[in-house]
Amino acid sequence: MPEVDVSEYSDVWVFIEEHAGEVAPVSWELLSEAQSLMENKDEDEELVALCIGENLDDVAEEALARGADRALVADDPVFEPYRADPYGKQFRHLVAERKPDVVLIGGTSTGRDFAGRVAVPTHAGLTADCTELGIDDEGHLEAGRPAFGGNVIATIKCENHRPQMATIRPGVFEATEPAEADGDVDHVEVVVTEDETVTEVETREVGETVDITDADRIVAVGGGIEGDLGPAEMLADALDAELAASRKAVDSGWVGHDRQVGQTGKSVRPELYVAVGISGAVQHLEGMNDSEVVVAINNDPNAPMFDHADYGIVGDLFEVCEELAEQIGNPEALQEVIA
Amino acid sequence: MTDNWTVLVGVKQVPDEDDVSIDPDTGTLNRAEAAAILNPPDKNALEAALRLKDEVGARVIAVTMGPPTATPVLELAVALGCDDGALISDYAFAGSDTWPTSLTLARAGEYFDADVFICGEETTDSSTGQVPPGIAAHLDWAQLTYVEELEPRPEDDQLAAVRDVEGGWERVVADLPVVVAVGYGENQPRPSGLHRKIYAENEFEPIELDAEELGIDADEVGLDASPTQVGGMDTASPVEREQELLDSVDDLAATLHKQEVV
Amino acid sequence: MNVLQSREGPPANPNYDHRYDAIVVGAGLAGSAAAITMARDGLDVLLIERGSYPGAKNVFGGVMYTPTIRELVDIDSAPTERYVAERRYSMLTEEDEIAASVSIGDWHEPPHNDSFTVIRGDFDEWFAEQAVEEGATLITETTVTDLIREDGRIVGVETDRPDGAVRAPVVVLAEGGNSLVSESAGLKETDHREHIAVAVKEVLEFPGDSRKIIEDRFRLVDDDGAAYHYFGKGAVGDAFGGAFLYTNDDTISVGLAYRIEDAVTEKISPQDRLDEFKSHPAVAPIFRDARTVEYGAKTIPEGGASAMPELVHDGALLVGDTAGLVLNNGVHLEGTNMAVESGFHAGKAVVKAFGSKATPRPADAATAGTESAGQVRADGGVSNTTRPSVTVRASDLQSYPDSLEQSFVVENLEHYEWLINRVVEDKQLLFEDLPEALADAAAEYFTIDRQPKQTHGRLAKERIMHTVGGLRGAIKLGWRYRKMIR
Repeated sequence: MPEVDVSEYSDVWVFIEEHAGEVAPVSWELLSEAQSLMENKDEDEELVALCIGENLDDVAEEALARGADRALVADDPVFEPYRADPYGKQFRHLVAERKPDVVLIGGTSTGRDFAGRVAVPTHAGLTADCTELGIDDEGHLEAGRPAFGGNVIATIKCENHRPQMATIRPGVFEATEPAEADGDVDHVEVVVTEDETVTEVETREVGETVDITDADRIVAVGGGIEGDLGPAEMLADALDAELAASRKAVDSGWVGHDRQVGQTGKSVRPELYVAVGISGAVQHLEGMNDSEVVVAINNDPNAPMFDHADYGIVGDLFEVCEELAEQIGNPEALQEVIA
Repeated sequence: MTDNWTVLVGVKQVPDEDDVSIDPDTGTLNRAEAAAILNPPDKNALEAALRLKDEVGARVIAVTMGPPTATPVLELAVALGCDDGALISDYAFAGSDTWPTSLTLARAGEYFDADVFICGEETTDSSTGQVPPGIAAHLDWAQLTYVEELEPRPEDDQLAAVRDVEGGWERVVADLPVVVAVGYGENQPRPSGLHRKIYAENEFEPIELDAEELGIDADEVGLDASPTQVGGMDTASPVEREQELLDSVDDLAATLHKQEVV
Repeated sequence: MNVLQSREGPPANPNYDHRYDAIVVGAGLAGSAAAITMARDGLDVLLIERGSYPGAKNVFGGVMYTPTIRELVDIDSAPTERYVAERRYSMLTEEDEIAASVSIGDWHEPPHNDSFTVIRGDFDEWFAEQAVEEGATLITETTVTDLIREDGRIVGVETDRPDGAVRAPVVVLAEGGNSLVSESAGLKETDHREHIAVAVKEVLEFPGDSRKIIEDRFRLVDDDGAAYHYFGKGAVGDAFGGAFLYTNDDTISVGLAYRIEDAVTEKISPQDRLDEFKSHPAVAPIFRDARTVEYGAKTIPEGGASAMPELVHDGALLVGDTAGLVLNNGVHLEGTNMAVESGFHAGKAVVKAFGSKATPRPADAATAGTESAGQVRADGGVSNTTRPSVTVRASDLQSYPDSLEQSFVVENLEHYEWLINRVVEDKQLLFEDLPEALADAAAEYFTIDRQPKQTHGRLAKERIMHTVGGLRGAIKLGWRYRKMIR
């Protein structure tokens, strides 16, 4: 295996994920977190926002406003809509040409789709689904990810290969608000042509994307609802909360993947998190542990979720949800109860 | 393309998550005693592959990397309907992370001259989901991940897929050869037939391949070829909660109101 | 170029019809005993189990009596927990306990009176493995749903899998207490309700060094174990049955078994009943700080000789719980050795039936003299060969019921039936009035006050005599149960 001269590599890159003009919130979260990583990097190293897509002028501008020193822009119709092979090829080319030390990619289905396509040909070290980031004394990236079902955080390092790549779970870090843009925009050579692509997107149906990571209140459902979302939705309505789900509910097809909390989903930190029929597997818990108040509703009194909740009710999920929704939706009844 | 497609399915033996017990005294996980099972997402990969066999007459071969004790996952694959199974086993593979793992599987794809290489979304024991894109990258093949359903188009040497994207779905058409990662739970795996099951568990002997037969140098795989290392392990500290069990919804509503969250 | 070109891979449509001499339905104790017996004598056996492994559906455990098992397998390699060094019988009223403990010096020496505590999940898995060692083919996660009949004969089984029918000359039905296949195929009547008992069991462990805590609480050394039996109102309320408590290696098994008719009329769930027993003042200290690691419930045919269905049919045999061969109502818990015994005799009868058929079999011819007959199945090259079909009639299998008749099994059942009839008649007296009277009498006798001891003794005696109906009643009672102590 060829030795890599790690000293040739510098700068921290954050991939800005964009679909039809919409930027995935995790991109801004990473840009914000990367600024704190820069404090432990050499002074001459830059924080670079890598933008791939079509019509990216506004995106590049916002990246600078959110703290990037430089925006690298690969702007071409071949990149819209997203496909793994043109993205991967362009990204690989830039990595080989410019040798970044650290590359951070949001752990969305897009990020998880092409990160491996970049990492493998360059023999980069790639850590998936990270929830913690740091730079050690020698300047190496320390990527923390839940292991063994989330009971431990494994710190993954990559000392002898570059770049050090990581996909990071959405919602783990908080985005900062944009300030005055200060930095350069570099339009790079697009090295992919439509002829070379091996895939074609025939149809794409994307509704309004939801972002549960910045919701103030969340009603999350698990396997216990057995496919009936009605009462949980009623409760979410009454609470003005976003609906979220455990992996079980997502894999069962009841709720979309964009609402999944925990491993391979998102991390959330709402003021109120109501877990309805969620057993409380560690993989789920580590996605919602930062919530302020946690309520568990379950018909199984032995559900581990109760150990990780502030308040719990054992009972029929549907009855409890409906009753609670009625009380919250009806201020008079609520006053009566409080009195 | 001539003849029927050759479809490879990558499968893996993992500890049964449901069987991993937590020691109530120490809080540590006991994985060593957990039963070894087929990685659950691989069931969806096998089902997707067998549907290709049903639809276009593909020849389906299951492959797994692991010690000979991993053979039961190949037996299960053959019981379900795979035409054959290959065990890729070599001491040189020990300690491999996703990079050498995807290299090895990529070489198996070449060795069997595969048209389609199907994997599960991820393995439950490492859950990186990076091996399928890794295989595609090593081979420079097209890739289709988070696939809900496959639509073979043999007349065009293409495989189309409906895949899950953030907030919706898309139909992508890929030129062969292609790597597929099937979304976990996206199809209903079939049960294995009685006679195939008896055959697979009692008479079937897998193809055995080592690094050399796949044209892999020992220094291309294993711990030394793995870019990432585990630097340390920290126990995740549990968050302190009130753990107060309430008797009625009235109590809950009142409490939430006092907490000023409603 | 690659290995596929030179390899003859799996056949497109493997077929095992007529490849086996016998199919055994259920890899519990009776089924595996039959499979071991037949495979050892050279028959090809297919053992079908619905659980993910043999024993997976069985959280029960308790004392295993091993004289027959010892003849079939190397019992020293079995996953036994402890040998029984102390048996304790105890009458519980709602608050009191009267107990007798038996601990025989010989029990500490091999073969330990052939009584061991086991966890059935582990033991059954090991026992089925012994059948596989003998050459039987085991498949799991497969439920037999029906029997295949041709010309009135049973010629195979239907399973819940696709391509799920498989044919063989003999089917051994060892499906357990819920013998749905045997019943729907008309080989036995649906169990009458009063012949069925319900049983619940928990496995408990203690925080910290669970093994040491158990040894301290039960006063055990090394592999010593204890088996406690409890009767009376404090154990199972007004129901007819009993509670039990066994020590495993580092856990304890506690449970109770009683008649389902009582469970129906009493409106208290078996689980609540068990919780009540566990909080009885006489046993509660044993369970202090214990936590439940496993819980299970099942129904068991209570048996008795007249509850036995026809054991042999054209092409089929009934063994174990399916054949009603259990003694299981909380008073006696001896289903296990009868299950093994019946499987053993059934297996022998099948071997005998095949011996008289003497049909040469191609697979045997191919491997004769080079391998033991049990390994015929191992050579992969004969997948699709079938052998001439053999017909085994009920009359060919008659040696099974005959030898069972001569064994302890039927004698036990007859004795048991007699006992049960008596005990049911005297239930009020035996399980309620007498224990209460005994407890009161004991309390009276041991009362420490300034009355002379003689006075307490006289009052105690009066209390008991009054309960059993005076001296005449006591003599009658003794006569009625004389057989028990024969």
